[in-house]
Amino acid sequence: MLKQIRSLYRILKSRDDFERGMSEELRFHVEQYMSDLVRAGISPQEAARRARIEFGGLNSTQEECREARGIQPFDEFRRQLRHAGRTLRKTPRFTATALITLAVCVGANLTIFAVVDSILLRPLPFPAPDRLVTVFNTYPKAGVLRDGSSTTNYYERRGQIPAFSGLAIYSEATAIVGETGATELVPFMRVSPEFFSTLGASPVMGRSFTEAEMTVQANKVVILSDGYWRRNFNADPLVVGRQVWVAGVANTVLGVLPPGFRFLSSESRLYFPFASRPEDRVPAERHSGGNSKHIIARLKPGATLAQAQAQIDAQNNALERDDPKAKMLADAGFRSVVGPLRADHVASIRPTLLWMQGGALALLLIGTVNLANLLLIRASGRIKELAVRQALGASRWHVVSEVAVETTLLTLAGGLLGLAGGWAGIRLLGKLGAERLPLGADIVFDARLATVAVVGSLILGIALALPIAWFNLRAHPAGAIQSETRGGTSGRMSQRLRHGFIVAQIAMALVLLEGAGLLGLSLKQARAVSPGFRPDHVLTGQILLPRNQYPNWPARLTFNERLLAEISRQPGVIAAGAVNNVPLSGNNGKSAVTVKGYVLPRRGTLRGHYSYGVDGNYFAAMGFSLLEGRFLTAGDSQRGDRVCIVDEDLARFYWPHASALGQRLFEGSDETKDADAFTVVGVVGAVKQAGLTDDAAQGAIYYPYALRNDDSLFVVLRTSLSPESVGPALQKIVRQTGREATITDIRSMDTRISESLITRRAPALLASVFSAMALLLTAIGTYGVLSYAVAQRRREIGVRMALGARPQQICGQFLGLGLRLLAAGTTLGLAGAWVTGQAMRNLLFHVPPFHVATFAGTACIIGLVSLAACLAPSHRAARISPTEALAHE
Amino acid sequence: MGKTAELLPGTLDMLILKAVSLKPLHGYGVLLRIQQISGDALEIPQGSLYPALYRLEHQDLIAAEWGVSDNNRRAKYYTLTAAGRRRLRKETEGWNRLASAITSALNTTPEEV
Repeated sequence: MLKQIRSLYRILKSRDDFERGMSEELRFHVEQYMSDLVRAGISPQEAARRARIEFGGLNSTQEECREARGIQPFDEFRRQLRHAGRTLRKTPRFTATALITLAVCVGANLTIFAVVDSILLRPLPFPAPDRLVTVFNTYPKAGVLRDGSSTTNYYERRGQIPAFSGLAIYSEATAIVGETGATELVPFMRVSPEFFSTLGASPVMGRSFTEAEMTVQANKVVILSDGYWRRNFNADPLVVGRQVWVAGVANTVLGVLPPGFRFLSSESRLYFPFASRPEDRVPAERHSGGNSKHIIARLKPGATLAQAQAQIDAQNNALERDDPKAKMLADAGFRSVVGPLRADHVASIRPTLLWMQGGALALLLIGTVNLANLLLIRASGRIKELAVRQALGASRWHVVSEVAVETTLLTLAGGLLGLAGGWAGIRLLGKLGAERLPLGADIVFDARLATVAVVGSLILGIALALPIAWFNLRAHPAGAIQSETRGGTSGRMSQRLRHGFIVAQIAMALVLLEGAGLLGLSLKQARAVSPGFRPDHVLTGQILLPRNQYPNWPARLTFNERLLAEISRQPGVIAAGAVNNVPLSGNNGKSAVTVKGYVLPRRGTLRGHYSYGVDGNYFAAMGFSLLEGRFLTAGDSQRGDRVCIVDEDLARFYWPHASALGQRLFEGSDETKDADAFTVVGVVGAVKQAGLTDDAAQGAIYYPYALRNDDSLFVVLRTSLSPESVGPALQKIVRQTGREATITDIRSMDTRISESLITRRAPALLASVFSAMALLLTAIGTYGVLSYAVAQRRREIGVRMALGARPQQICGQFLGLGLRLLAAGTTLGLAGAWVTGQAMRNLLFHVPPFHVATFAGTACIIGLVSLAACLAPSHRAARISPTEALAHE
Repeated sequence: MGKTAELLPGTLDMLILKAVSLKPLHGYGVLLRIQQISGDALEIPQGSLYPALYRLEHQDLIAAEWGVSDNNRRAKYYTLTAAGRRRLRKETEGWNRLASAITSALNTTPEEV
């Protein structure tokens, strides 16, 4: 079999050689035969005559030979291909319409599919990636859905959960790396020794971490990513044992990771041991995850997620038995959730992506239906030619394959154009910020995508061929030849099919438009949400302080003081302050507070609140509103006063009927000694912490920076100038003020807000592009079908006009047809829009799933566009001159 | 020319395989060889020879190669492949069984019934 295919391939590759060889062979035979006859004494003329008779027709022999060699179908295919190419060239307007439709529809689908593929479908680059899971703590009733895991969790769980073959903990951060004077900011991860083996990876050079390096005394070791090794060590093969300087401390290189190693969306280039002190591992620290430390694990072969979950639950229950806070934890709904690693990582974006793909597919469906209609109309025009050919013996198979070759040629060409469209679309997505999506950096245009495009085009071509082939085969040769313009049953059937397609098209366009409208409205609503502060004219930047230069709060406070003083001296600066985290940075942790004298109501639960340390004039710089009391000042920090500010949500929660001023509260979930209590000195307005669409009134608390500081902080300044213009000055001040302090992520608050909406803006934008295309395609479809209906009835119209019908009547008849289709499509679209709206509820923000005004608006738009598409053909019908129409046939 | 017999359907392939099994031959040579080995008793329609050759080549029972004929012209020579040899053996056995069965059937006398 294989041999035959190979030999067939050889022949097809050099088809001319085969033909030449065959002619030569047959000629040789005839000549040999003739010369043998002549030798036997027969005259050359007689010999030639006999040879001709004996051999039979040369042409038919050759044809039989080709058939015997199995190349007949290929010849037929080539002939049909040429025929299809010719007919497509003969109707350039149709071909161009079809190609553009396909290019747009396929391009849109490929663009979205590239995203869906890289984010949802492609396996993670680890062995058996579907066995990888993540475990995180959740306290839903306290308003904390994700709190990561604690160091204690890690030490209590590793080796103790039979369903896991490996379990590791990690955290991510950024460090100032390099020797003095040549430092850079490098994203890094702290990982426990099992991290790489759990993933199924290991250093290609050197070794991984050991248990001994998990203490803060012995953790000055580092593993490099392949990229860091190449860039910073020139791919030195003897790098193991060399030094990497981090914040002035030398770390010894232990190993190098394989190229392409990448953990989810992490950009880490260095890996340090997840070192901790014994006091970080005690039961009291069990719930101190703070969403900064995360646990991953690998399921043992044969173990299931449910088993792992059951074992984790059982362990939690056993540990909680001697936990004094067991009741409080139970009230908060505490649980440790085991979830698939990848699905968990992309869970936030998954529904949006699937809806986008659904939208793109709907667009493709509209385009395909359009093409089917145009092709049906074309087929109607050729019905007589086809009938004649069938009468002359063209087989059914021939009729079907000819159609399939033509439609497939069309869709393949369109698909290739679509591939170009997809390439452009992916670049556009890149501009929209797609790489900020989880796993978004992996979105690529590659052979896999091209394969999908080609296979998809082939399937599309065959799908398109079906209705046309059906139509062609139903055409009775005799009937078609006899019938003048309006055929028998097949004509009515195909007309019904065409009209059904138009109705479906209008309905789908309506659903798409309504969906886009809902997404757009949601975006508008989200943008209209007040963040609670005044984001205009505010510039922010993240500062990282090297730990060796700024080991404790007095050093950091001094830095802040000098920095803020310097910034305030700049022209245009109105106020400047510092904070651990600005709102909407996506990194805002929550922690518990205990209010003195507050008794949890029965069934009530402890709540997590956003908490920050602030310095300088943070509130004024960010534009918070003061409701009661005063703001915190730099003086509070310098004196180390135990005072704090709460927001209105928190104040309302704990003191609904009293003033918050003067109230006392404790950090954490325990009431400790009075000296540790903070006194509330002011109440500010609530701000959106996690995102503009975050409706939960979670409450926030602000402490003096001295009492809640870190080596990373945000500087915030309000200026009367354009905030971006202050950026370079800010950078310079940080460089001059700080000893190796670095500032990154300098952006205005307006930009941050706008970027926080990317998962709403990009879908809304794409959906409106899709629906605009759908609208255009529907207009083309309606126009095409009505034009055809008019052309088809020319003669009838001519007769009626000759008998005295008024042009308005004729025009009205076709407009009426258009309106009927429109009404049916709108009704169907109404149902579709209602169902779709309900289904995409989760993506909407402050917009009802069925928005009457949007639907009415979209129905109007579709109505107007379809009417416009109907008008031209109807008008043309009314202007048909009877004499011309009758003479025409 | 003498008496010639019509070819039974399906037997041409077998004869071609036999002819080619003796010695590599070009198409015209196959024709002559079949006439020769059948004692000029079989009439091969020349027009159907080549489709049969091409079919056998397609089935990988014979292989073709360009060579030079006795009178120094380019000609396509056919040889038997291993698969062709197996097929020839099978066909020969089948034919012999059929022939002896038919012969014995035709030679039956009333006494033997």
